[in-house]
Amino acid sequence: MPPIIFYLLTLATFAAIYGTLVIGLNIQWGYAGILDFMYIAFVAVGGYVTSLLMMPPATPGMGETYILGLNWPFIPAIIAGGLCASLLALLVGLVSLNRLRSDYFAIVTVAAGLILWTIAGNDTPLVNGWDGISGIPQPFANALNLDINSYGFFFLGLCLVILILVYIFAERLYRSPFGRALRCVREDEMVAQGLGKNVFVLRMKAFVIGAFIAGIGGALLVTYVDAFNPSAWTSGETFFLWAALLLGGSANNRGAMLGALLVPVLFAEATRFLPTFNSSPQLVDAIRYIAIGILLLLTIRFRPQGIIAEPRFRVPRRLFHRIGTNLPVAVAANSTRPTIVAEEEKTDGK
Amino acid sequence: MASEASMHFTSAQTARQQATDNQSRSILLDVRDLVRTFGGLRAVDGCSFTVARGSITGLIGPNGAGKSTAANLITGFIRADSGSILFDGRDIVSMPPHRIAQLGLTRTFQITRELEHMTVLENLLAAPHNQLGESFWLGLFAPPAVRRQEEEYLQRALQLLRDFDLYALRDEYAGNLSGGQRRLLELARVVMTQPKLLLLDEPFAGVNPVLAGRLSDYIETLCQEQGITFLIIEHNLSIVERLCNTVIVMALGRTIAEGTMAELRENQAVVDAYLGES
Repeated sequence: MPPIIFYLLTLATFAAIYGTLVIGLNIQWGYAGILDFMYIAFVAVGGYVTSLLMMPPATPGMGETYILGLNWPFIPAIIAGGLCASLLALLVGLVSLNRLRSDYFAIVTVAAGLILWTIAGNDTPLVNGWDGISGIPQPFANALNLDINSYGFFFLGLCLVILILVYIFAERLYRSPFGRALRCVREDEMVAQGLGKNVFVLRMKAFVIGAFIAGIGGALLVTYVDAFNPSAWTSGETFFLWAALLLGGSANNRGAMLGALLVPVLFAEATRFLPTFNSSPQLVDAIRYIAIGILLLLTIRFRPQGIIAEPRFRVPRRLFHRIGTNLPVAVAANSTRPTIVAEEEKTDGK
Repeated sequence: MASEASMHFTSAQTARQQATDNQSRSILLDVRDLVRTFGGLRAVDGCSFTVARGSITGLIGPNGAGKSTAANLITGFIRADSGSILFDGRDIVSMPPHRIAQLGLTRTFQITRELEHMTVLENLLAAPHNQLGESFWLGLFAPPAVRRQEEEYLQRALQLLRDFDLYALRDEYAGNLSGGQRRLLELARVVMTQPKLLLLDEPFAGVNPVLAGRLSDYIETLCQEQGITFLIIEHNLSIVERLCNTVIVMALGRTIAEGTMAELRENQAVVDAYLGES
């Protein structure tokens, strides 16, 4: 396989994985308005759990130490990874989601993410500390027995299938009354309560669902790159995903996927070609973070809705006609029911 | 009254039974000795009143009398320090706001709050309580029961939008509406929930006289046709006089009088506290 094809294949795979991740963040932020700054921790939990379940038991004295190591097949392992990420979200949510307003909750998530990160790095017996785990089995590799090139295409296909499933799931959720209730909570918590919505439960559900998708995406990410350590999930990574979502378009899953392609994939790749300076090897990394920060600020200032704005709800035409014709025409004819005329006919929005 | 007419055809005992039933049933909201302090300020200080079922009751009083705090206490947005609130025979004083709303006590806000980035139609569709599709699984798989309910809500919402003359604006974002249109939308939204008691916090603030007249027509219609009871906090006394059978006056966190506007004009305490010499 020519290197350029291999390179593009890699980019496409990362784009599909990051697309999945950003859709999960979109369910938390775009749908329910939850400020989650520990999103990458859910990704990491999914990645670690899936890998550790698939890996063989750690051999004492062979360098790596880690828990589990159960030789599980990929499918139960990835589901367990997603569920563990959800469980973590549930715990964080139970502690703070009902007590704290959104910005204070955000601080809790930053702290929770850092605590997990520090534990993963320092508690070596758990996930082999800062060195991380390596030699993670590739999904279905034994069963398929493909050469490395064909396997690359297979893995891209796997990621695309999961991306499409997650996209369809997220779209259905958005259009459902459940998604509408989430957006009601996002828009105004007090109105939602006044309309009988249990704000805590709704936000908790969105938080847990988003974390599950993060865990799934994390499982794909970690099994793809084959090795994982805490430097791959610093809290800065969370903001790459946030930048992707806000630039692409909050509350719009296509926007989320576009953002995933633009920020963590293309932007990160483009900055890879910046010259490195031997005098200060951290410079390019630092510039990358600064650039992401500037991008976030510019997006929020000049195009808060993102490149692709949230879709506007329209009643499906077929349904509308069926219902529209059933409407009692009595509104005008029935004199007992006063018709209220708004004082201004035009809206100022158009 | 239909119940009085039917009494002639029932035994005396049943009639008595019915009379006591009616008496207990006729009070929808019973607020007793409500107290809430903020720091040293007793915002609501032993406030007691009742709202009769099927009535349009006004709640008036000078600024800072504790009317809005009382509204927040009744709807559960603020916890009371002490006192009891019986709604439809149930003690709601320690319930969270969404539970109170589900029982049929819904409110509007003094400053309109709309779901800005949702369309006018969606603002109404989001309103009904306990929608089947608001459960995660039922919403995701949308079985026929959920779809039927959605159609029903859609039909009711479109009808309400026509009644409130917001039909043409149904696909507009609620955040783009004018002030008066927001008032209409907010009222339509709470009517959509089919409440037993609507607590309107200054529904006529910033509304022009023509629209205010139509709004009060609509409130009367809702009361008569759908049997919705209203508790209205309002400063515009001519509207209160026109609309409300009973008016409650609050001052310094307490209820100081209750009666028709005409009675209140004769009440020296009310005149001193609020109405003033004319």
